[in-house]
Amino acid sequence: MLGFVPQAISVDGDLTGYENLLVFAKLFFVGREERKQRILDALEYFGLADRANELVKNYSGGMMRRLEIAQALVNRPKVMFLDEPSIGLDPYSKKQVIDQIRELNREFGTTILITTHDMAEADVLCNRLAIMNMGKIAISGAPADLKHSVGGDVLTVKVAGQAAANLPTGLGSVISSEQGTIKILAEDGEAAIPRLMEYFERNGAVVESVSLSRPTLDDVFMKYAKASLQQEGTFRDARSARRSIARHGR
Amino acid sequence: MINLQRSVSSALTIAEIEARKIRHDSTELWMRTVQPALWLLVFGEVFNAVRSLSIPGYSYIQYIAPGVLAQSVLFVAIFYGITIVWERDVGLLTKLLSTPSPRLSIVVGKALAAGVRGIFQGVMVFALALIIGINLRFDPLDVAGVFIAAVLLAMCFASLSMTLASFLKTRDRMMGIGQAITMPLFFASNAIYPVSLMPVWLQYISKFNPLSYGVDAIRSMLLTGDYSALPVDILALLLSTLFFIACASVVLKRLIE
Repeated sequence: MLGFVPQAISVDGDLTGYENLLVFAKLFFVGREERKQRILDALEYFGLADRANELVKNYSGGMMRRLEIAQALVNRPKVMFLDEPSIGLDPYSKKQVIDQIRELNREFGTTILITTHDMAEADVLCNRLAIMNMGKIAISGAPADLKHSVGGDVLTVKVAGQAAANLPTGLGSVISSEQGTIKILAEDGEAAIPRLMEYFERNGAVVESVSLSRPTLDDVFMKYAKASLQQEGTFRDARSARRSIARHGR
Repeated sequence: MINLQRSVSSALTIAEIEARKIRHDSTELWMRTVQPALWLLVFGEVFNAVRSLSIPGYSYIQYIAPGVLAQSVLFVAIFYGITIVWERDVGLLTKLLSTPSPRLSIVVGKALAAGVRGIFQGVMVFALALIIGINLRFDPLDVAGVFIAAVLLAMCFASLSMTLASFLKTRDRMMGIGQAITMPLFFASNAIYPVSLMPVWLQYISKFNPLSYGVDAIRSMLLTGDYSALPVDILALLLSTLFFIACASVVLKRLIE
């Protein structure tokens, strides 16, 4: 059985929350005995129980979204499709929705397929993700692996005094060093901080500040989507070049 | 067998949605009773005085009461396509189509939903007739028969409307086509004057108008008590309903493309 939650909120505003769940349970042929219990459970689970008998048009956006996921949940799908589940929600509702999606996967073992433009959401929710560009998968893999593939963590260290331009192996490699600001690429940035501090202090430099920036899925997206955009560009260029050569050749 | 059972239950569930909505908010349907009230009170009263319209044995207002009932059902049903387009716009239709319910039961369910509204209209016209004191046959079996005819009429025109919606796709166009076809359907029927008064060409058109058969069936049960044409009327109504339901189920998918 499939569950489907479209991008646009599509619960029926002219029915109550309970009725929305009830009619869909009926349309999915959930048996009469299980129906009521499942609906009550779902309402409870998504924190909608106290407003179950209110018309849905009076709900907030976050509540509607949760009701919608509840609707898909009542028929206990093996696979569930969510299209932009948290679009247009405030940070609090968004977090609730994300938590509940994760719970759904953990408790019922539902396989969940999400499409989203929100890289942070993809990062926290997905075990595996694929970046699509121009209708094709540009790259896919676990979020951690993907982030790793665009490079490690970058540490920006500000030091007073003379600092060594070369770091011992295992600490990381210097990307740039100018006017006491050193950018260092490290495998595991957080673990590298104390070791770098220790190294600099031992070498007579005073560390003024350290900041860590880790690659996000945004960076991953930029890298792979941009790369394929460029590829597309060169492909078009090549084709038009071929055509013009053909014309001139005649 | 289980499929048939499921199809029927899906269709009933979709009609149930409509009934629940009406229970929550029936304002629209109450406002829709204004029109039949005007037809009976103003049109009916005035034309009662026109001698060439006199129907042997009955007053004019008695004659048009069944017609007005059928007309108010027609008006509710012919704009049902707008509801479908609206449901498409907000994603409800896609969601309905993503359920395991067969498309045919979705169409039948929606047509029945229009029937639910038709019943409401029927009750209103009955109430009006009682209030005004129009002398009709209020035999329980006849009244039940009238409601069956009203539901069939609603299903027929709602399916026609859904078929048109699948091609026209927007609410504005549906509004336009609704306006464009209701009056011709109404005037090319026996709702407010006998077919015999029509010019010959219109009499032929009236023979292909499902509304005429609906009105005829309702009139025979509500007024004349002459059931001789009733089987033909119901059969014609049933066939045209089935035809439009089949059309709508075939083309409904176009609406979400």
